[in-house]
Amino acid sequence: MSAALDRQIRPIYDALDTGSNKSAIVACNKLLKKHPKNALVQALKALALVRSQKVEEALALCDEVLESKPADDSTLNAMMHVLRGLGRHKDMVTMYEAAYKKQPANEELGAQTFFANVRASNWKSAQLLASKMYKQFQEERYLYWSVISSVLQAKDPNTSTEMRTLLYKLALRLITSAPSPSSIRSDRFHLHLTILRELAEYDEAFALLDTPAGQGICETNLACNEIRRDIMRLKGALEEEGKRAEQRILEKNDRNWLEFLSVVDGTFSPLLQNSAVDGVKEQCASKVSNTMALFTKISVEDGKKDRSGLLGLLELEDRSRKHDSTRLLTLLKHYYELFGDKACCFEDLKPYSDLEDQELASWSEILNTSPSSLSSVESVRRVINSHKLLRYNLSRSELTVEAECSRAELYIKQYQEGLLLGKDLPSTELQPVDDLAILAGSVFVNVWKMTGDIKFLYKAAVLLEFALAKSRQAFQMRLMLIRIYRLLGAPAVASDHYHLLRIKQVQNDTLSHFILSRCSTFSLAASGDLTFSSECLEASQIYISNSQETSDFVIRAFSAEKYSQIPEFIKFEDWLENSLQRDITKLEYLRMRVAHEAISSEIIDLELIELKFIFDRLHHDNRDFEILPNYQPRVVEDFNTQTLLFGKSEGHGWVWSLLKTYITAFSQASDLDDVVEEKLLVGDRPQVSDAAKRGTLKERLAERDEEELSELTTDELSLVSYADALAAWLEPFHDYVRPPASVVLAEAAKQTELKTGMPLRGVDTTPPNGSVKKEEDTPPITDAPEALQKFFENMKARFEVARKTTSPVEALHVATLTQEAFLLFVVETLRFKTASVVKIHKLGNLVTKFKPIRAVAVTVLRDMAAALEGISAQEGTSEKRREFIELSGLESLEFDHDFIMNIGKKVTDSRKKVQEGIAKGMSKLCSTYEQ
Amino acid sequence: MLLYFVLSSETWIFGQKHLDHVLQYNIGFYLHYLSRWPDLCCVQEAPRGRMMGYVIGKAEGQAAEWHGHVTAITVAPEYRRLSLARKMMNLLELVSNDIYRGFFVDLFVRCNNLVAIEMYEGMGYSVYRRVKEYYGNLGVGKGGRDEEDAFGMSALAVCLSGRQETEKVPLDMRKPLSRDSARRSVRNNGRDIIVSAHDVS
Ligand SMILES: CC(C)(COP(=O)(O)OP(=O)(O)OC[C@H]1O[C@@H](n2cnc3c(N)ncnc32)[C@H](O)[C@@H]1OP(=O)(O)O)[C@@H](O)C(=O)NCCC(=O)NCCS
Repeated sequence: MSAALDRQIRPIYDALDTGSNKSAIVACNKLLKKHPKNALVQALKALALVRSQKVEEALALCDEVLESKPADDSTLNAMMHVLRGLGRHKDMVTMYEAAYKKQPANEELGAQTFFANVRASNWKSAQLLASKMYKQFQEERYLYWSVISSVLQAKDPNTSTEMRTLLYKLALRLITSAPSPSSIRSDRFHLHLTILRELAEYDEAFALLDTPAGQGICETNLACNEIRRDIMRLKGALEEEGKRAEQRILEKNDRNWLEFLSVVDGTFSPLLQNSAVDGVKEQCASKVSNTMALFTKISVEDGKKDRSGLLGLLELEDRSRKHDSTRLLTLLKHYYELFGDKACCFEDLKPYSDLEDQELASWSEILNTSPSSLSSVESVRRVINSHKLLRYNLSRSELTVEAECSRAELYIKQYQEGLLLGKDLPSTELQPVDDLAILAGSVFVNVWKMTGDIKFLYKAAVLLEFALAKSRQAFQMRLMLIRIYRLLGAPAVASDHYHLLRIKQVQNDTLSHFILSRCSTFSLAASGDLTFSSECLEASQIYISNSQETSDFVIRAFSAEKYSQIPEFIKFEDWLENSLQRDITKLEYLRMRVAHEAISSEIIDLELIELKFIFDRLHHDNRDFEILPNYQPRVVEDFNTQTLLFGKSEGHGWVWSLLKTYITAFSQASDLDDVVEEKLLVGDRPQVSDAAKRGTLKERLAERDEEELSELTTDELSLVSYADALAAWLEPFHDYVRPPASVVLAEAAKQTELKTGMPLRGVDTTPPNGSVKKEEDTPPITDAPEALQKFFENMKARFEVARKTTSPVEALHVATLTQEAFLLFVVETLRFKTASVVKIHKLGNLVTKFKPIRAVAVTVLRDMAAALEGISAQEGTSEKRREFIELSGLESLEFDHDFIMNIGKKVTDSRKKVQEGIAKGMSKLCSTYEQ
Repeated sequence: MLLYFVLSSETWIFGQKHLDHVLQYNIGFYLHYLSRWPDLCCVQEAPRGRMMGYVIGKAEGQAAEWHGHVTAITVAPEYRRLSLARKMMNLLELVSNDIYRGFFVDLFVRCNNLVAIEMYEGMGYSVYRRVKEYYGNLGVGKGGRDEEDAFGMSALAVCLSGRQETEKVPLDMRKPLSRDSARRSVRNNGRDIIVSAHDVS
């Protein structure tokens, strides 16, 4: 490149660096006038175009550069960013491979080609390439790259079992061919052990571990040590491992809980192997007493400093319970005495305290008689722990409304008394008594569940709001409140709390279900309020940053030879990429989108492509429900289950069910078939899960599985059956009218050319000759299935029932689903709105059959809207606020009138807004699509 | 139990629970550490899988300044005073000593975090210097652009993240490792030595 040109290009980089894509494009255009074929400038322009979302233009330029087979670093680098932006990893591989072929001595280019394969998950090519590089450049690193590529290919879910073994064998052969032993670096050693473990070569693994180098690594490297433990276990060397752990505990003062577990495992190992043989039991018993002596010694030595010894005793007792039952009680008691003033005591003891009968009575006795003083933070913790432990074991007969209410009363009383302890704490600190409020809130929710009486939810809300005001950072209370407000039909109040959690990063994946689960029930999108739609978009940002950032770190881990991390990073990337919540959010967004935007073939086409990708995914559920505190007795549902909206958690089955419904409706309404879609696709096709390969799309869509459907509410189930009936009826007519692929493609090409001035890649744009109309006759016109009108009539009846229940959300659920059914009807009949289409295809008779269905739908929706408006008129009033105060029944000196009133106001105002907005939206949709 | 650090939602939740600003940073922050010093990062899990605490560290420095650094350490409030921090610090020191062969371990701590300072002193750390002022943006260090600033996260920024402006006066504390048997990396009058943020890495 000439120095002059170089000087002119620099400002383009600067513009790109500072995000001024527009000026970058201007600068490129200027240069391209003089040097129209300069690949670097073209590539930079393509990059600026991608970054300004001008995908079509970028594609055209990008193809041109690729054709020129660039080989210089700068162009390759710019193109790498372009192709990543477009999701075209395969093209990136081709590009680098061609460049590397031209300069086979260029090691850096070799590495880049390898990384391109890594980004595309082309493990096989990556492995071959790394092997080749190893031979050529004699760097051991490349040998290891080829080893881990092989391992990663084996780990790929799409690799068959036989292939997997072969790949691990290959990896083993490669790694043992290295000139230096793997133990010179812990991450190489880790990789070596992983392979041996997979191949069940435990003895060989053990031999490696038994070398001084191997022992040294395990001493300092937790990841390697974990594999070592695993291998010892698989090898059946539990006893040996137990001895080793004992030594560590005694000699090195190691207090890692895993060592204690190893000792316990070792203690019982003879039983595992041959419990039938005489003497084994005795042998075991003597080992138990040895271990007991060891742990007792440790626990006495450590006292309150470390709980490992005592926890070890509990674990030991738990596993040998058949032999002695009073000892467990003694241990529980001892633990409670020693660590009862630590907040972790309840969680520590829970696994060991599933007790019955006499034992339970004694345990409860111990807890009941424990001091109930609230004079210090420690004593408050002890009281809280005893409440939690007692509550955990409550039996059904102890769970009467009356008994529960008196428990709540006690908790509240102690809460208020104990508040004094923290009165001088800064507002950023948690109050020591917080958990007493959480306990009382849990009791109220449980009573609501038992009685269906909404006043108990009011009580829970007031109490938790009060406690939260005293302890602003008590996020668990916020989460409980979010659930409660949604049950109360007050989504805005729930959202306020959610925002105060300041959810960040990956939490958007794990926690957004708190407000996004079935949020279309509360969405006012149809009347123009996009609050929840933007909430969905915001929560989905994390998936974009994941797909852009994470693979960079995979590459870095390769460069730094941190092999132990590579599979973890890839798993992490995959879990986010294929997150279940991601697609639950997507579906909710879509349901709101069709209510908000005019339903058109553009929207249908775009959404269809995306939904089909989702349909091929193997989802991973990252949602965190554990984060909700649960202090409900073990005989009843946990707090999470109790407070799910409509009592159902949506999971894979829910996603599949709705996906099938929408994909069916959209693919009928769309002109895109698979051929067309393939041609118009911009990026690479995402990996297809195994399940997705089992049948054709059509077959898979038609499958309705009991288990999947069981995740739906009854009303959702009605919607799905209705949609199935509608689709089955209209399918032949859609297929008949849909233009052939060649016509659709020619049209798409024309549009692209109009926009970018360049032809669409790989598409023949000559219009197909002959008439477009199909040869066959119009399929026989059939009557609409009765189920369609019936659906709307049934929903009307359901609505009447729902509005009379105590639940403020059920009517909304029925109404929004009825609206959704109507919109699906609009989608399915869109094609037949064009008069010329109906005329050419002689479908006049079909279209007349739409009318009565549409009419019923509109009538039912209008009725529901009117009813909702009526209900909403009563909300937000002073009577409702007063009612809230009365029902909550908590007004007193501490819980003052205004405080409760304010909560009541928020709740009823939010309800009003939702009911009103949904009614308005429904009326609007009726007018829009009435004809 | 002491486990190597794995990326998980748990880690983020933990950050949320304990108002731990470090754990709420972007994906890049973790991945950066894990792709370079996985053995200096670990978590403590309770017997039944709850996360109790974590430490994130790195190795850095030239020649006699080559050392291990504790970027962040936190134990959940309900698990404090049970020696969890001690166990994690022991591991980090062990790895810095045996694997990285560093001369010392150091860390930054806010000067008003008395609990932590006392803990470190109990473990053999001493103040090496005080950092004078901190303007929240260490964008360009002396060696040009700091790699970690790409994530808005220099080690110093981690120590100070999410705190009040007035508290932003960190101490740099050190403990010599076996390789520094002459104890050249520490000094007695550290509290009197004041340097500006640009002079620390
Ligand atoms: C500092 C922190 C990590 C300590 O964790 P920990 O697991 O409770 O500490 P350990 O139990 O291992 O304590 C080790 C020693 O430190 C000292 N120590 C710890 N916490 C103490 C406290 N609150 N008061 C007095 N001494 C304390 C004690 O000497 C203790 O030994 P001992 O229990 O035998 O007396 C924890 O309090 C924390 O997460 N704080 C918030 C985050 C933070 O400040 N991190 C440090 C930033 S640089």
